[in-house]
Amino acid sequence: QITPFCSQGDEDFRENREKENRGKRRNGERDKKKRENGRRKRSSKSVSEPETSEEDDNEEDGNNDGEVRPELLSPEELERLKEAVDEKKKLIQSLRGKPWPMKQKLVTLRESQQFVEKYEGALGKGKGRKLYAYKVMMTKKWMKFQRDFENFKTACIPWEMKIKEIESHFGSSVASYFIFLRWMYGINMILFGLTFGLVMVPEALMGRPYGSIPRKTVPRAEEASAMDFAVLWDSGGYAQYSVLFYGYYNNQRAIGWFKFRMPLSYFLVGVGTVAYSYMVVIRTMARNANESGIGDDNSFNFSWKTFTSWDYLIGNPETADNKFASITTSFKEAILEEQESRKDDNIHLTRFLRVLANFLVLCCLAGSGYLIYFVVRRSQKFALEGLENHTWWERNEVNMVMSLLGMFCPMLFDVISTLENYHPRVALQWQLGRIFALFLGNLYTFIIALMDAINLKRKEEKVVKYNITMWEASFYNGTGSENSTAPPITIHPADVPRGPCWETMVGQEFVRLIISDTMTTYITLLIGDFLRAVLVRFLNHCWCWDLEAGFPSYSEFDVSGNVLGLIFNQGMIWMGAFYAPCLPALNLLRLHVSMYLQCWAVMCCNVPQERVFKASGSNNFYMAMLLVILFLSTLPAIYTIVTIPPSFDCGPFSGKNRMFDVIQETLESDFPAWFSKVFSYASNPGLVLPFILLMVLAIYYLQSTSKSYKEANIELKKKLQMVTHNSENFVIFLLCSFDLILIAQKRILFTQDGICLILQY
Amino acid sequence: MVSPAIALAFLPLLLTLIIRYRYYFVLFYRAVLVRIWKDCVTGLSREERAFQYVLTNATPGDPDSILEAFDYWCSKVEFISNIGPKKGKILDRLLMEQSPLTVLELGAHCGYSTVRIARALPLGARLYSIEMDQRNAAIAEKIIRLAGFDDDTVELIVNPSDEVIPRLRSDYNLERLDFVFMDHWKKCYLPDLQLLEAYGLLGKGSMIVADNVLFPGAPKFLRYLRKCGLYEWKIHRATLEYSKGIRDGMAELVYQGIK
Repeated sequence: QITPFCSQGDEDFRENREKENRGKRRNGERDKKKRENGRRKRSSKSVSEPETSEEDDNEEDGNNDGEVRPELLSPEELERLKEAVDEKKKLIQSLRGKPWPMKQKLVTLRESQQFVEKYEGALGKGKGRKLYAYKVMMTKKWMKFQRDFENFKTACIPWEMKIKEIESHFGSSVASYFIFLRWMYGINMILFGLTFGLVMVPEALMGRPYGSIPRKTVPRAEEASAMDFAVLWDSGGYAQYSVLFYGYYNNQRAIGWFKFRMPLSYFLVGVGTVAYSYMVVIRTMARNANESGIGDDNSFNFSWKTFTSWDYLIGNPETADNKFASITTSFKEAILEEQESRKDDNIHLTRFLRVLANFLVLCCLAGSGYLIYFVVRRSQKFALEGLENHTWWERNEVNMVMSLLGMFCPMLFDVISTLENYHPRVALQWQLGRIFALFLGNLYTFIIALMDAINLKRKEEKVVKYNITMWEASFYNGTGSENSTAPPITIHPADVPRGPCWETMVGQEFVRLIISDTMTTYITLLIGDFLRAVLVRFLNHCWCWDLEAGFPSYSEFDVSGNVLGLIFNQGMIWMGAFYAPCLPALNLLRLHVSMYLQCWAVMCCNVPQERVFKASGSNNFYMAMLLVILFLSTLPAIYTIVTIPPSFDCGPFSGKNRMFDVIQETLESDFPAWFSKVFSYASNPGLVLPFILLMVLAIYYLQSTSKSYKEANIELKKKLQMVTHNSENFVIFLLCSFDLILIAQKRILFTQDGICLILQY
Repeated sequence: MVSPAIALAFLPLLLTLIIRYRYYFVLFYRAVLVRIWKDCVTGLSREERAFQYVLTNATPGDPDSILEAFDYWCSKVEFISNIGPKKGKILDRLLMEQSPLTVLELGAHCGYSTVRIARALPLGARLYSIEMDQRNAAIAEKIIRLAGFDDDTVELIVNPSDEVIPRLRSDYNLERLDFVFMDHWKKCYLPDLQLLEAYGLLGKGSMIVADNVLFPGAPKFLRYLRKCGLYEWKIHRATLEYSKGIRDGMAELVYQGIK
């Protein structure tokens, strides 16, 4: 019988030529096809001899076009060809999941791909053929382009090779810190883009220049020292009177030739940074939630440990040894735990010790909170007396104490937690929670102290306002003219008495805090890691005990401490970004330097940890903490925006009653009248309350459905376990029966031997 | 100059260091301060005081009671770095497994480890113990004879080990050492090991046990072990003698011979 493939022998040959005419591709492919055609022709020679001579004639012809081909094919043959091509396509897609050896898979793949390529173009009919083949070619080109673009995107990810190298040496938990750092860098880049592009650049380019109005000029009294490095480092002098801080911005409603609404932009950028951060964090949390929870079962504990403990990304012998040792240790611990859970003796002592440990930790937290409060009060006293009278240490006391406490208290918590005798993962969570409480307490104490300073400045404001009116009155009286037609006497802006600016002060405090925190981190890194490593390496020759194995030894990379530091740093940025638009830029610089410095320090000074933890479980934990910090750090900023009136003499909202009045003003003046009416309807409590109620109901509904899904999941798992037990029983039954058969066989053989012996006798 | 608040901020660090390294502080107190005090008060050296105690509290001829008396004195009264009960058990087990006939001990100090080894030796085995210090050697000799081991079983050589080892083959007619126990100065571990190799006193299967390789530590010795490839080695991890929190280890080497 003539098979469909054979009858199309000349058909596909002509089609090949057409493809040649149309679009050039791989020569090798063509040769292969010719060879294949030749093979097909040879195989079908016996059946289609008269045809081959025809084909040879047609080979020389070479001018045939598409009109001849569709007629060669009958509809059923076309149908069969289409089915065959579809089948080959399905085979290619499902090839990965087939349990074949690799060589077989590769050979099948190549054959199917060639087949599909050859015959795909043949499926269109008549004039539509060209279009169809063209469409097919474009689809293939598009897929190739997409693949290349994916490769390019992967190559563009910054610092990927560095992080992979660290991962191969130190395991995935240390690498997860750097991946987290990189993610933060991305967020800060967007925040920087917003503040720089929409706030700092417009004011710098289109606003009034430096020195034109009082708020943009360094006061006469401070001019002498405005360029000193010490003053600039403290964010005073020229740094204070620049786009970096709130106080520089003018409250002009629209600036520049295209009427850029500066105050509105400032306000919306402030709100937008917070909104964007919320969105990104929650989206990442949702994505992580899908991937978590695998293998955390309490059943089959030892099986999970046996088959899934190894980290395949390790590329370094020392790390592999360490990982091996840590897996052994974790097995020993799991066995001990099993033994101990069977016998729980002395639970009262354990409970007492845990309560004692928590009490000690609370004492430490209270002590640190009080110390910070005391120090902040002292610094306010110093500020009242005038900062020049005090040494550098006294001026920067607050920041130093906060950084030092943030560094030393976690170590104390770690030591206290050895009393509690928890499982290491539980102990780590307690540790993280305590460090979190410490940082939070410190931050909020700092903010409360700042609030006191703000109130002080506002009281000062009233006094200064009175003084300014007196000064202006005396000035105009002095000229002697009663009419206001006289030209106003120009006063240099530096000489005008200035109102206090609490927003700039807040911004400056945050900038100082961030800078001192950064410096403390870097200095700790250099001394605690690098200097220690240098000492251990070079003093080991002439020291009485082994420095590498004994007391100092090389330090390990503290993942949780570093991650928490990063999270709190970001919290401070969120808190202060409204009052100091330079903060996202500063943070971007800091993260950039941190990345390189810490990558170098890790590779150069640290050794892999002895206990290696899985990073995946903690990922969502860190995200949750970030979310909490985001919420808690935007609270003070929102509180100050909503309750405290802006300063009268500085910033984009000066002269308004509250900062958010700018929205009202924009709605009234820039939008048509009906818009503000709609907005006022929408913000009516009668509409907002039912909306909130609806959202609460929706949340409740989603929560209960997710709970029911979880329960269904658990049921399915139980059923699966029962089935495996049953199948285990079945397998055991089979094995037993095989055993019996073997024994029976042996007995038969034995009796056979016996019979043979007897027969022999 | 520096404000009291900043000084107070260092308090958690101080507390952490004290709590984390409390065992080292305790060890320092017992091994150094108490020793200096007692030296000034009694005028005897530490080993003589130990010997006095053992003489009064142990049964002559009974190695177990002598070892017990030593342990009690070292853990309750003062500190001497003998091998201790826990690591001693590991040593006993290794000796039982190996059953060596010729044993060399470098550094007898008070004689505790000598008695311990001699107790676990099979019949016909002979222990050579090398001690550098004259006074310590005198006390060790008394203790060994008090335990009931005669000259056939234990021979005490009073000379530095780097002078004795080259002469072991010629003066003492030793061909091969089955077991070597090192407990002398840590910086001498590596030179003595290399001397033993050079003079061909080790055969295939000879076992060498070196004490205190992690604390105070013998880093050059361990580095040599890892690199040279002549030994199958492992470290038995335990705690320092008479101390709970300080980690220490004993290295066990089995000589494989040059391939």
